[in-house]
Amino acid sequence: MSSLGKFQTEVLRQDAVSQPVGTRWARLERVLIHVALVLLCVAVLFPVVYAVLTSLRPSRMALASNMFDGNWYFGHYQRLLSTSRFLRYILNSVINSVGGAALTTLLAAMAGYAFARFRFPGQNLLLGLILGLMMLPGLTNLIPLYKIASDLKIRDTYLVMILTYAAYGVPFGIWVLKNFFESIPRELEEAAAVDGATPFQALWRVVVPIATPGLVSVFLLNFVYNWNDFLTALILLSSSTMKTATVGLFDFQNQLSGNENELLATACVIIMIPGVLLFLIARRAFFQSMVEGAVKG
Amino acid sequence: MSRRIYPLLLIAPALALLAAVSIYPTLYSLWLSTQRFRRGVPEFVGLRNYVTILTGKNFWESLQATLIFGVSFVLITVSVAFLLALVFNRRPRGAGFYMTIIFLPWMLSEIVSGVMFRWMFLPQFGVLQNWLGPLVGENFRFLSTPGGAMGVVTGATVWRSLAFAMLLILAGLQTLPREISEAAAIDGASRWQSFWHVVWPLVLPTTTVTVLLLTIQAVNAAGMFLAITNGGPGRSTEVLSLYMYREAIEFFNIGYGAALSVIMLGMNGLLAAVYLRTLRREALN
Repeated sequence: MSSLGKFQTEVLRQDAVSQPVGTRWARLERVLIHVALVLLCVAVLFPVVYAVLTSLRPSRMALASNMFDGNWYFGHYQRLLSTSRFLRYILNSVINSVGGAALTTLLAAMAGYAFARFRFPGQNLLLGLILGLMMLPGLTNLIPLYKIASDLKIRDTYLVMILTYAAYGVPFGIWVLKNFFESIPRELEEAAAVDGATPFQALWRVVVPIATPGLVSVFLLNFVYNWNDFLTALILLSSSTMKTATVGLFDFQNQLSGNENELLATACVIIMIPGVLLFLIARRAFFQSMVEGAVKG
Repeated sequence: MSRRIYPLLLIAPALALLAAVSIYPTLYSLWLSTQRFRRGVPEFVGLRNYVTILTGKNFWESLQATLIFGVSFVLITVSVAFLLALVFNRRPRGAGFYMTIIFLPWMLSEIVSGVMFRWMFLPQFGVLQNWLGPLVGENFRFLSTPGGAMGVVTGATVWRSLAFAMLLILAGLQTLPREISEAAAIDGASRWQSFWHVVWPLVLPTTTVTVLLLTIQAVNAAGMFLAITNGGPGRSTEVLSLYMYREAIEFFNIGYGAALSVIMLGMNGLLAAVYLRTLRREALN
């Protein structure tokens, strides 16, 4: 585990730590800091709150209309959620994101376990190579990938999306899970081996149950990244039955006929829900992964 | 089964996937960049694609747009993130709550953020267009002015990346032992002195890493531009990443687009090398 990994727990925990009562200056400074933080939060939240409020307002109403008069209108949600094309986009997003994240987690767990528990020639070189791939920007890869997928006639398939998403997540997943497995005492597997378990059985029956939190966080992070992906899907998908929600949103914006902004806002809100919800639930895993991903300790 | 083969068996599937989806396409783009396709039939043209790119004016315009965007985005993000990290490092009450809010934009898709920003700046009924436009000038329209359009994309990208940068710098600050600044305070150093002479030199490597990661993000930020400006007005916001997408996907110039992607890969490689060197130096200290 990175030495930096512990920090956010401290930051998140310290509501309980009371500040020493200082001079009047110190108190004023503290108040100013909170004022600044509240203003920043308002600014950060503004686009999201504005989109949510707009999505709950009937179409073609002047902007000046009172947003807080309590008359929430759910018609846009009903309309979108009964549009079969939009539902199809959501379904495609779910299939691609879940498939990609699951494959990432499986492959990264196997490889991470090998790097954590075995010593073999060329090990560091191989690990370096895999981690070096994290530096490869997905963007410059997309042009050749587009050509390859076209030649193989696998554009517009779940297969190509799942494989691509899985590959994006694997290097970082290996890094996180290798560290996780190293923190599990070796004696547990040795005991299983004494009882006659093969290494695969020891991995499956002993290590995996203990490593579940690590596996779940790799899965969730990758799910959110895949769900939010836009460019890869834009380039590899073009048929209306295979497009994901993010590509559908882009099309929708481009085809928009004047007065459907409320509907566009509604689509934004629906698409942002999974990421926001999972972040609120697994906040710590997200913070930690960001630090570990950037500053490998 | 021998212990030698075992780890390789476990690693093989991951490696095969990376080889197929990451390594092979990268090498393939080198080959693609030397081809021209006529009705799908490749023809070897050597370095002609590169020559065309480097002698045309589109590439240099796009490079300029990328630099303007990159420098302003990175400068603004890092300075605001640094201030925020200093504040959070003092552990104000409710830090967890504030941090959760500031992080929300990072959890949204590029396209969702882009669509929301574009729509807040639309002429006539965009809410921020109506609030902020008159402050800049009479009849000023953000999305139809080159500077304004670039400003909106920069703002949206800062909005999305701020928390990411702040978290990295905060992580650097938190590895500093508290005693260091306390000792400085006892020695009678003012707060500014202790920051400038004690804290700043120690967090400089982390800040450098943050700057590099943000620069890599900036070079590759095509989604936000696609969503908000689509390169316009004119070509004023057609950054390199967008230019590459246009040529290869919209105009079917696969060879030309691949050559552009190789050039961008080189730029990224340069940044990555600096990044790895900084990390290694930090690890040594």
